[in-house]
Amino acid sequence: MSNFLKLVYNELFKIYVRKVTWVMYGFLFLIVLGGAFLVHTLDDELSTTYTDNWKEQLQEENDMYLGDISSSSDSEYFSLYYGELVERNNYHIENDIKPLNYGAWSYTLENAGLVSIISLFTIIIGAGIISNEYKWGTIKLLLIRPISRSKILLSKFLSVFIFAFVTMIFLLLSSLLAGAIFFGFEGLNPDIVVLKNDGFQHVPILGEVITDYGYKVVNLIMMTTLAFMISTIFKSSSLAVGVGIFLLMGGNIFVQAFQNYDWVKYILFANIDLKQYVTGNVLIEGMTLGFSVTVLFIYFVIFTMLTWLVFTKRDVAS
Amino acid sequence: MSEIALRLENVQKKIGKKEIIKNVSLTVNEGEVYGFIGPNGAGKTTTIRLIVGLMKLTAGDIKVLGKSIKDDYKEAAKHIGAIVENPELYPFMTGMQNLRHFARMYDDVPEERIEEVIELVGLKKVIHGKVGKYSLGMRQRLGIAQAILHRPKVLILDEPTNGLDPAGMREIRNYIKKLAVEENVAVIISSHLLSEIELICDRIGIIKHGELITEQTVKGDEETVEKTAIKVIFDVEQIDQTIKLLKEKNIDVVKEGDQLITELQRKDIPAIVRHLVEHEISIYGVTGVKATLEDQFLELTGGNIIE
Repeated sequence: MSNFLKLVYNELFKIYVRKVTWVMYGFLFLIVLGGAFLVHTLDDELSTTYTDNWKEQLQEENDMYLGDISSSSDSEYFSLYYGELVERNNYHIENDIKPLNYGAWSYTLENAGLVSIISLFTIIIGAGIISNEYKWGTIKLLLIRPISRSKILLSKFLSVFIFAFVTMIFLLLSSLLAGAIFFGFEGLNPDIVVLKNDGFQHVPILGEVITDYGYKVVNLIMMTTLAFMISTIFKSSSLAVGVGIFLLMGGNIFVQAFQNYDWVKYILFANIDLKQYVTGNVLIEGMTLGFSVTVLFIYFVIFTMLTWLVFTKRDVAS
Repeated sequence: MSEIALRLENVQKKIGKKEIIKNVSLTVNEGEVYGFIGPNGAGKTTTIRLIVGLMKLTAGDIKVLGKSIKDDYKEAAKHIGAIVENPELYPFMTGMQNLRHFARMYDDVPEERIEEVIELVGLKKVIHGKVGKYSLGMRQRLGIAQAILHRPKVLILDEPTNGLDPAGMREIRNYIKKLAVEENVAVIISSHLLSEIELICDRIGIIKHGELITEQTVKGDEETVEKTAIKVIFDVEQIDQTIKLLKEKNIDVVKEGDQLITELQRKDIPAIVRHLVEHEISIYGVTGVKATLEDQFLELTGGNIIE
């Protein structure tokens, strides 16, 4: 093994040898399993199975939705929501695409929201990976080796994201498993109809799963990098976890509070949801995907450079 | 003559405007055990942190086997093994996992070497137990184990016998000596237990207020022992007469109770005794007291006062 790989191995070993990490995995698995159980017992609509007469079934659904829209007098939201469902059904009928029955893949796709929990865990791991070495006093034994501080820092930073990646795979696999148990399996990589910027499209579900999870990863990376920086500068994991989680959950509040100002588009949180450019529901007029990616990149560089400067230049004193 | 393993050249460390270490220069040879002592807050640990690269020098340089820790850190650090302050290891990992962890940070520490080191520090029975459950003595041994895994040429031990029982202390002491003699390792030990230092060190350096006040050879050769003045206590019957006799020979005498205390060179004692006997002084006892390192230490530092 090369020098650097051994360092990464060390860091991953220290992450996975601790019970705390396995509690995280257990917790995540329970949520996935419990979620599937809840959906299975509570939601009848989802378990509609489309038979060979699926066109008739969809037509019936549409009649019902349209009825609902006309009967509810005041709600704009309802008409929007049902309107979309009707359009989707029409797309199926017009293009002769049989709708996919709810199953393991659909459940996995819906679980993209659970990436927030992985973000939470990654923030906790990232906030501790440097500050814990200080807390345990092991930083002294770590930094007297013939390895530059930059390399040690990089191995730690990478290990945090390897942890996030592995956890993401775990979430995908356990969602597929739980989904398959409760709803059945739709096939290896079935196609599904989704609403994009330019109308409905018929696409393979695996791609959808990857892009949906991927968009959430942007937030994970930015918040973890921030927590990593705070914990390196202040040598305190609790502060880093606190700030990281607060901004992970509440970052949007900032943006909404200052929505009327022009500079709000330079705030990290205004740019963190890249999916806004796919759905066309852009937060602030005039922002583009290129702009957001640039802003995100600049924040990322600032965070990592500050971390690097502090970690490599600082004296280790008691 | 053995090679210089560690050299501190006009080492200076400032934190803010405060000068913590002032112009410290010293050398430690291969195969030598160097004791580094001083009162609390004198700069012992800071000096050690500077040597191992945990702190950066303000001025001066430190060289390990001729390689500067400023310009060639990796090459210098390769040859250093250290315990800095308490031996703090990962409590949630076993002793073995800890050793493997640190072994991976070097290019070439084979599994057999790890086994060998475990055997050496006597941790074989508990090596697969969690370090969190180790006693201080066991952690101390594990600390030494991680410091010598890669066969360093310079070994730095901060309070290495702290927390060990007398048998363990002797074992570690013997082991340190063995390392120095057989593997030609330069060992730097900082300690407040002066008697401990005296027993293992070839040379000591005393540091106070960030300055190296003095360096002394502990186990002097015959010649220096002969020349060093030692405290001699005379127990005689005719006290006043003895004082007179000694004064005639230009020897300072202090009377303490029924005893007379003088400072003499070892080689002069027989002649003086003969002189006293010739003048019919009844001598009950003559005791030579070697000044201990501790006396010197207290004398030099003015007691263990944190200023």
